[in-house]
Amino acid sequence: MASQQPTSASDMLNGATKTVQAPGEIAKDNSIMKDLLPNLDRHLCFPLLNFLEEETPEDEDTTEITKLKFALLSPTNMHDFTGDLYAQIHNLSERPEEYAKKREGVMEQLAKYQEETEGLQNLLADADVVGNLRSDKESNMKYLKDSHGVTPQMVEQLYEFGQFQYSCGDYNSAAELLYQYRILSTDNERVNAASWGKLASDILTTNWEAALEEVTKLKESIDGRLMNNPLAQLQHRTWLIHWSLFPFFNHEPAREVLTELFFSPTYINTIQVSCPWVLRYLTAAVITNRSRPGNKTNYLYGNYQKQLKDLVRIVRQEQYEYSDPVTGFIKALYVDFDFEEAQKKLSEADEILRSDFFLVAAADNFLDAARHLISESYCKIHQRIDIKDLSTRLGLSSDEGEKWIVNLIRDTRVDAKIDYQAGTVIMNHPPMSVYQQVIERTKGGFFRTQVLSAAVAK
Amino acid sequence: MSRFFHGDSSSESSSDEEELYSGDEAEPKPEAESSSEDSEEDDDDDDDSDSSDEDGAKGTGASRFLRDESDDSEEEDEDKVTVVKSAKDKRFDELEGIIRLIENAEKISDWGAINDHYDKMNRQLPTLTRDLDGKAPKMYIKTIAELDTQVNEAVEKQKVTPKKMNPIAAKGLTALRQKLKKNNREYTADLELYRKDADEFMKEDVVEEVAPAPKKPKSKLLQGDQTLDANDDGFTMVGAGGKAMVYTPESILKHLRTIVESRGRKNTDRLEQIKIMERLLDVAVSDYQRIRVLITLIATRFDLTSGTGSQMSQEQWKLAQEGIAQLLGILESNAGIIVIEGAEEWEDDDKQPTVGQGEVFKVPGSVVSFVERLDDELTRVLQSIDPHTAEYVERLQDEGSLYINIVRAQLYAEHLKADEKLNASQENINRVVMRRLEHLYFKPSTVNQTLEENTWKAVPEKLDSKVSPRSVGDVQDLVQVLAVYLFNKSEGILRGRAMLCQIYFLSLHDQYYKARDMMLMSHLQDTIASFDVNTQILFNRTLTQVGLCAFRAGLVYECQTTLQDICGSQRQKELLAQGLQIQRYSQITPEQERLERQRQLPFHMHINLELLECVYLTCSMLLEIPTLAQAGSSPDLKKRVISKSYRRMLEYHERQIFTGPPENTRDHVMQASKALAAGEWKKAADFITSIKIWDLLPKSEEMKQMLEQQIQEEGLRTYLFTYAPFYDTLSVTNLAGMFDLKEQKVTALVSKMIHHEELAAALDQVNGAIIFRKGVELSRLQSLALTMADKAQNLIESNERVLEQRTQGTSNAFERQPQRGRGGGRGGRGGRGGAGQFRGRGGGSGFTGGALGNAIRAQ
Repeated sequence: MASQQPTSASDMLNGATKTVQAPGEIAKDNSIMKDLLPNLDRHLCFPLLNFLEEETPEDEDTTEITKLKFALLSPTNMHDFTGDLYAQIHNLSERPEEYAKKREGVMEQLAKYQEETEGLQNLLADADVVGNLRSDKESNMKYLKDSHGVTPQMVEQLYEFGQFQYSCGDYNSAAELLYQYRILSTDNERVNAASWGKLASDILTTNWEAALEEVTKLKESIDGRLMNNPLAQLQHRTWLIHWSLFPFFNHEPAREVLTELFFSPTYINTIQVSCPWVLRYLTAAVITNRSRPGNKTNYLYGNYQKQLKDLVRIVRQEQYEYSDPVTGFIKALYVDFDFEEAQKKLSEADEILRSDFFLVAAADNFLDAARHLISESYCKIHQRIDIKDLSTRLGLSSDEGEKWIVNLIRDTRVDAKIDYQAGTVIMNHPPMSVYQQVIERTKGGFFRTQVLSAAVAK
Repeated sequence: MSRFFHGDSSSESSSDEEELYSGDEAEPKPEAESSSEDSEEDDDDDDDSDSSDEDGAKGTGASRFLRDESDDSEEEDEDKVTVVKSAKDKRFDELEGIIRLIENAEKISDWGAINDHYDKMNRQLPTLTRDLDGKAPKMYIKTIAELDTQVNEAVEKQKVTPKKMNPIAAKGLTALRQKLKKNNREYTADLELYRKDADEFMKEDVVEEVAPAPKKPKSKLLQGDQTLDANDDGFTMVGAGGKAMVYTPESILKHLRTIVESRGRKNTDRLEQIKIMERLLDVAVSDYQRIRVLITLIATRFDLTSGTGSQMSQEQWKLAQEGIAQLLGILESNAGIIVIEGAEEWEDDDKQPTVGQGEVFKVPGSVVSFVERLDDELTRVLQSIDPHTAEYVERLQDEGSLYINIVRAQLYAEHLKADEKLNASQENINRVVMRRLEHLYFKPSTVNQTLEENTWKAVPEKLDSKVSPRSVGDVQDLVQVLAVYLFNKSEGILRGRAMLCQIYFLSLHDQYYKARDMMLMSHLQDTIASFDVNTQILFNRTLTQVGLCAFRAGLVYECQTTLQDICGSQRQKELLAQGLQIQRYSQITPEQERLERQRQLPFHMHINLELLECVYLTCSMLLEIPTLAQAGSSPDLKKRVISKSYRRMLEYHERQIFTGPPENTRDHVMQASKALAAGEWKKAADFITSIKIWDLLPKSEEMKQMLEQQIQEEGLRTYLFTYAPFYDTLSVTNLAGMFDLKEQKVTALVSKMIHHEELAAALDQVNGAIIFRKGVELSRLQSLALTMADKAQNLIESNERVLEQRTQGTSNAFERQPQRGRGGGRGGRGGRGGAGQFRGRGGGSGFTGGALGNAIRAQ
């Protein structure tokens, strides 16, 4: 429902983000705000703009942003707030009359809706009634109709009311209403719209668990329902990818699920085709995933390696279409093996992360993990490393660097020793024994043959 | 001695006259002639006197000839008056005979015979009709009316009675019925009359038959004299049947009808007809007449070369082209008449249609088809001319005027489409837009630019196109606009072709990524096998061009994989339709060969095959040599063949005992390969850059630099692979000096190799050296053990695959590792990281050979 973006507003936004900028030249050059906004809902844009405003230094003018916000929110029902914004833009002491009037209209509407849906809402709050509901929507509807006189119109009103509440900024109740609607309605089109609405509401109320559920639901519905319309499928997937960025970086457990989702073939294709800038987030997510607890176990680590490999591949493929310091870091490190360049990109990427709405929280994490990656591949390639040199590569002082290396040796159990006098680290790379290789390769053979023969015997 | 031996001119005229004379007169003639021949044999001089009273044209001297002619015409006049009646009678007798036969056959219901006779009768009809001033003979009308009733009755009866007719008769009946239905439409009025009152109708006929017939030739001649005066050229046109033809605005349509009717018959002199129509065109007064004449005229011009193997002469082609231009000009200026397919024919030859204000009159025909035909004819001509002659260039220049016609036809088709009422088909626009696109896609934009400018200059000011407005100045955009238009409006093959044309154009203009993405997103490689051969050729061409584009962009790997399918097959010529490849053991039938010849592209559209081969071999070298060095002696790596044809050439080259200095492209690449394998990058680079054909590439200097750099890098890799076992340490600075690369670059390259575990070594940062690890070289036994392990692995996998195929995947008894899914199994050529290079959007794993293989087989 909320997925239709009025173009005029987003156009304005696009134009304005170019003039109003977050601090820092690099961040400015690499702002992808204008790419993101058209794919987000009006209400979802708001936090982004807020963030932009906060980022702007005190002495700089924020009227532009305020104007943007005003343009953004005018079509909604949040008249109090828009009135305030209007006053702010035009330097009025209080909000103009018309907003009060509008507000009254909204209140009336609200009361009307409340009255209309009260009956049904009460019903759904009744434990007995809910207990009688089954998974079959048709029979549910029939049951409600027979025993409680619920008409389809009443159900539709739930939807209208939900939309209204959403537009008013009351996301909690909107989520609730849309949830109820979804239980009862049989109109697939609208149920789907309600899902989008609920996802937005959940995001805005930071109810990540629920949001994640919605994402899964929407993903399934996109796969199933839009089977015959690849273009719409692509568009919806693009939206879903953008929307899910909110839970992605704000909710720890979501990250793994979503990384998996983004790496699934259909979604990685969507990213490549219609929104390569999302690669920045994917890159950041993959890199930061490393330092999460619990990845010491073999399985997860292997998974991480695989993701990294995929990422390198995709970044390399897309570099002609999209590149920023974050993806540039990956490229420098894994495609060109240029450690100096990687170091440079890393510091740039850091700046970008700090001025990005989604990534600001993960910036430290990212820096840490990225350093790990650099030193890991550095150690893999080198036999003798100058500590001073490595420290500069990691952007650390000499002492810090030494500490870092010691930690690294301890954590990753690489076979290395520090020669204090010469100020070097000597890595020992034992070659993989041939016998071990043969054993590795033939490991699963027996089991697989067994399964095979079992299958044949069937 | 044959009696036809002499009289080369006379025999023709006499045989003409033979037809004219009635049967009884014709009888004694051969005798007379043979007697004259006898006398000729005896005495040549005698012949002169003889011939003068028989038939005039046997003169020897010029004066004689002149006199003869005048004699002849006089004689002819007299002949006409006396013999016409009998000639006509004879024809009518014939008709009557046929009718009698038909009636007889009707009695015994022999429909097969009736059908035959009916055809015969129809063949006679035109001449009879001409005799009767354009009216069908009454007898004929009567017969067809009766036949119609008979046939209908028979059909009815057939439906009722269960008894089957014999198959021949049944076939005859249905054929006859259809023909009758078609033919009788022309004579509806007469048929009506006949049916109303048969006797009256027939009676009238008798009276008429006697009276006007003898008079007619005279009056005609008189008219002829009038026009003769008017025309002032001193000759009278003599039409078929020896009568003078008169061209007045009123009779144009009648003449046209005769010509149209004779179309497709044997022994029609088309050139003669063309002359007549040119004359008619001069006489024509109204737009309607002009349009009608032009349509027939153009069609006849095309008919001149309907046979296979013959091409339109330049003169005729030009005239046809001008005719189309004129037609379009008339149509553009007169909005009242349109030419459209499927319009009703205007039956009344005597009266011209009147077009009211705001109305449109439809004339059947198709401008688009004419333009298409014109295009095809030019292509055919170009196919047959030796491309290195001036003639080729001359004919190629005609393309400009052809293009103008195409654009104008497009405008006209759009104009028709814009009128809602006409219900013109979208397909016409699509076809003509496609033609236009096909004239643009393979040319560089500067050429197109001039073409476009000239075209718009030639098109009247007021016209503009909705599909591709004048304002589309940039040709790059124009191709895009046309292709997108087709993509939206058409489907199937046209859509695919439009896509391919655009990709070709993009890659021609160095937009590799865009072209590649479009190529992959179109998914054409999956479906191309189901397209027609010409589209498959276009696909091959596009693929080749994308590959060349990748090369120009310096993407060696991409280039090699893209060109693999085309060049690896050794059938480039055939795949690109750029010449026939004579195969020693081919089993191509002449029919197939003819088709093949028809498919050939004109020379100016060719992709330079030598350049193609050179690019392909160079790329293969850059990829293969390091791989070969890496493989060394280990048995399992030896199998990784990137390009089979390159390997074959290399082996052949190595077998030679003495190698002279390189002569052709292939030699150059082979010797460069050898030098590269030995680590002498400089020599290799020299060999490669001295290949002359690079000059054909735009920015050839940059290309050479790019190649040199690639050779340096690959040389370094090869060197490391080859000589690593002999070193303990190697200084990075030293290597950098050796390969003329920056130290950083060397470090990066080595790092990459170490990271990918291609090289068992590590860098010593402090000393700036590469330290090779010891003990990694495998003994023979060890490497065999590894190979063995791999083989066992493969065995298990193929077993699993077989089981899956058998059970069609229903028994998911075992979980495979995810990366070993079905895709991996199919990978084959496209695999080995190919899927990684070309992103597998939606599963299509890059350019695999499947589609192309099919393309070859389909040919």
